[in-house]
Amino acid sequence: MTAASLPPFSRRKLLGAFGVGTSALLLTACGGGSLGGDGGGSAAGGSGGGGGTIRVGLVVPQAGVYTPLGVDMTNGWQLWLDQNDNTIGGYTVETVTADEGEGPDTGVPAIQALLQNEDVDVVVGIVNSATALGVADQFTEAKKLLLISNAGAVAITGDARTDYVWRTSFSNAQNSYAMGEHLAAEGLTSVYILAPDYAAGQENVTAFTAAFEGAGGTVAGSALTPFGTTQDFQPFLSGAQAAAPDAVFCFYSGGEAVTFVTQYADFGLKDSIPLFGSGFLTEGSVLTGQGDAAVGVQTSLHYSTEIDNDANTAFVEAYQAAYDSLPTCFAMATFDAANVLSRAVEEAQALDGDSLATALGGLGEIDDSPRGPWTFEDQNPRQTVYLREVADEGGALINTVVSELGVYAQPGS
Amino acid sequence: MLGWFDANLVSILNGFAIGSLLFILAIGLSIVFGMMDVLNLAHGALYLLGSYLAVSFVGGTSSWGGFLVALGVAALVGLLAGGGLSAMTEPLARRPILDQALLTLGVSLVVAELLSIAYGNDVLSIAPPPGLDGSTSVAGNAYPTYRLALIGLGLVLAVAVYLVVERTSVGALVRASVADRDMVSAMGIDNRKVKIAVLGIGSMLATVAGVLGGPVYGARPGLDGTILILALVVVVIGGLGSVTGALIGALVIGQVESLGRALLPDLASFILFGTLAVVLVVRPRGLFGPKTLAGVR
Repeated sequence: MTAASLPPFSRRKLLGAFGVGTSALLLTACGGGSLGGDGGGSAAGGSGGGGGTIRVGLVVPQAGVYTPLGVDMTNGWQLWLDQNDNTIGGYTVETVTADEGEGPDTGVPAIQALLQNEDVDVVVGIVNSATALGVADQFTEAKKLLLISNAGAVAITGDARTDYVWRTSFSNAQNSYAMGEHLAAEGLTSVYILAPDYAAGQENVTAFTAAFEGAGGTVAGSALTPFGTTQDFQPFLSGAQAAAPDAVFCFYSGGEAVTFVTQYADFGLKDSIPLFGSGFLTEGSVLTGQGDAAVGVQTSLHYSTEIDNDANTAFVEAYQAAYDSLPTCFAMATFDAANVLSRAVEEAQALDGDSLATALGGLGEIDDSPRGPWTFEDQNPRQTVYLREVADEGGALINTVVSELGVYAQPGS
Repeated sequence: MLGWFDANLVSILNGFAIGSLLFILAIGLSIVFGMMDVLNLAHGALYLLGSYLAVSFVGGTSSWGGFLVALGVAALVGLLAGGGLSAMTEPLARRPILDQALLTLGVSLVVAELLSIAYGNDVLSIAPPPGLDGSTSVAGNAYPTYRLALIGLGLVLAVAVYLVVERTSVGALVRASVADRDMVSAMGIDNRKVKIAVLGIGSMLATVAGVLGGPVYGARPGLDGTILILALVVVVIGGLGSVTGALIGALVIGQVESLGRALLPDLASFILFGTLAVVLVVRPRGLFGPKTLAGVR
């Protein structure tokens, strides 16, 4: 989910994209009027030093398969604003929300409209990596800041890095790399890998393989499953079973995560081969769909609601009070995006991309994040990765923290 | 040979389970298209409607009562939806087939969007009824019991549909309509009534398949499109309006999706449409298609 590259062609995708695209245009066209109102209008204004206004474009999916992430991200953003009198670094915030849709075909035009018609100072959000990569040049040209709070493609802060694009979430490779080292350290000698056949899936496989083999393990085999069209994982599960590995490592998210974890239990693999994954496998609403099949699954992620620190306790409590659900890493990263943006604006006392990028680079350790302390390294978080295990606590499934796997920057940097 | 069979037993079995589900789904689409020239692209949305009905009545707690109620309600809703579709397509009856396809496609988008508003965008799972919710050991391999039941049900339905179509006067009417609808009309049978009945039953099969498929595929936005494509592939491979064709097509696609992917994991994304392409090259009308298509002559 974190980095859908161009989804495989299908009739419905095409038509769906057409519909989403049309609605995205409509939404952004009237964004200044109705949608922009959720930020600026209600603020008392002038509560900070600058007294000016910052226009922030919040780009999240409001239609299509990633909609639940969009909701979480909007909630995280709004929670931070609510806690800070709707100001960022002393500036009153006007949020202009735009619909990213499912892919770059809808996301890129939506962001283009934000930059050209809405005159936003900063853009925050973006789930889809192809969208993020597709708009990077526009931000360079406009000399404005893009603060990504989900899209995890390695290239965004790697090969395709520009000074104006920063990320508060994660790089795809980070969590899988940590898990690879962990499993090897645990003494597992052979692991079978399963992931969807698209950019993010491949990046996770590459990172895990590098870490696991680098620490002396052997990959017993791997299969890349067709992305978005696999309803039934049985053929691949049978392949994994036949390879008789010590464990299975996988990267799935959203709908595929539910199907995969459920079928892993249905076909009896859960009892014989322990399942490990990148944290998105059991993050957020998918846990409800997975039910008991998820209990005991261990994953690695830069966040869990169960992390024991004051900032996280306060965050989880406030989030639950406001939205009646547990926060996710998607909400947390957007909450943090508001936090670092506020610090940078305060530091720079300006809203242009160059000043903000310089200020972000000089922030040092972010010490009040729910995920624990982290710093920017090459425009991507250098952060603690946690080993989590799904547990049933009084009927509700949660990701308990088993241990800290260590502090990881994006691999290769 | 025996070793190969043993190693792939689960895949073969699973191919039959998927095939059974696809048969129930595709037979409706096939008969509606074959008889009435209505390419019902809302078929996938009706399947999803059935799945969401199962979510409402069954949800996460396994119960026979809820499951049977869901089946009954889905059948009723399907019949009504078919009647509605029939009324909607009637004004377009003399227009090219693509106009009707476009209408049903529009209906499917609306239905899918309404479902997503009503049920949200999360993936919902449906528990199989009690007794079928565990795994059974098949030659040492764990296999979900519900899917075994699905194979049985698919076989029973296949035989039932075959007998109705081949051995009853209603079936004769169905076959006659596939062969030459205008002639059937000329013999004094009201085409519109036949159309309402056929679309009603076809849509009912789709919603019922939605409930039956619920414990296997769950319910989520976007599933309608995936399911529709699978059903269309089955119909194209099997041939229009043919019960035998739909059955063979469904079993072939079931095995391709299961055994094919297990044997050739690298070709997994390609193998489904590869099979379709091969069939289209060798037999453009499908394996059991009619010599001439109704409406195309």
